[in-house]
Amino acid sequence: MTELGDELLVAYVDGQLARKQTRAVEKVLDQDDVLAARLDALKHAHARLEAAFEAILAGEEMDVSAVAVPQDDGLRISWRAVKVTLAALGICAALAAAVAGYGWPLSLPGLGPETQIEVLPPQTPVNGGLGKKS
Amino acid sequence: MQAEDYHDTVRPGLIAMLPRLKRFADVLVGARDEGKSLLGRALRRMLAEQHRYQRGTAIDVWAFGEVYRHWLHELRDQADPVARAKIDDARFGELFYPEGDGYFDAPVIAFLGALPPQQRLTLLLVYGEGFEHEDAARILDVSPETIAARLVRISASLADRLSARAPASAAAIVETLYPEGLRGSP
Repeated sequence: MTELGDELLVAYVDGQLARKQTRAVEKVLDQDDVLAARLDALKHAHARLEAAFEAILAGEEMDVSAVAVPQDDGLRISWRAVKVTLAALGICAALAAAVAGYGWPLSLPGLGPETQIEVLPPQTPVNGGLGKKS
Repeated sequence: MQAEDYHDTVRPGLIAMLPRLKRFADVLVGARDEGKSLLGRALRRMLAEQHRYQRGTAIDVWAFGEVYRHWLHELRDQADPVARAKIDDARFGELFYPEGDGYFDAPVIAFLGALPPQQRLTLLLVYGEGFEHEDAARILDVSPETIAARLVRISASLADRLSARAPASAAAIVETLYPEGLRGSP
């Protein structure tokens, strides 16, 4: 067995070959019993490695509760929460101001010119009132 | 990425993959207690520096890489890094014996225990975690060609050992799959 054989076969087992290369390897494997036996040995080794790592993971899943993720130091407040809270407070303040009669936009007494509303006196009819006809 | 999103992404992501991270740390240092300790320190660092996580990066690739870099960083501070990286065979074997599981593969366990940490991790990342060579290379800070070369060498060596086959002689190595310039040197 040459290094070429192992390189190519490991890449084949790992699915790292291009389609054209895969077909070429399979063609050779059909005709070469020694190469096919080597492939089986590499697949067998691969499968036993996977089983070994699976066995470790099974143990970790039982044991992982012992590893506590470190807690954050102090109080952590999300910046998003701060923004939402400030927006809510602003809306509440605006509603309270509207209820108090400031209207919207806010117009505070004493600030800026007030709108003057001209109130006209009641007009006296020239002919003495309605219903009377001359 | 905004600041609030780090906390929303990193912490739940790390919690979800704790068993995998623990396995990675255990295989790296070769013992359950030391693995737990290493993972705890690495997690604290990840949470403290989670702003370094970049959106679009797979969280597992980032987290495995952080654990590995943390281990490397601590190893460099040791007076004798080579001795520190060696593992105890008996304690390494304990990683494979979960209660109630009948798994026992002494040749494979002995083989893995004799490998350098980076080579054990290469096998774990590709065969245990199913990472592509590129992602495994990113985690271990090597080239994908190095990952491929390690896999060939280790797989061939294990296959030889399991089938009691003599390793190939140097004279038989006459061809390679990759051009010389692209081959990694693990």
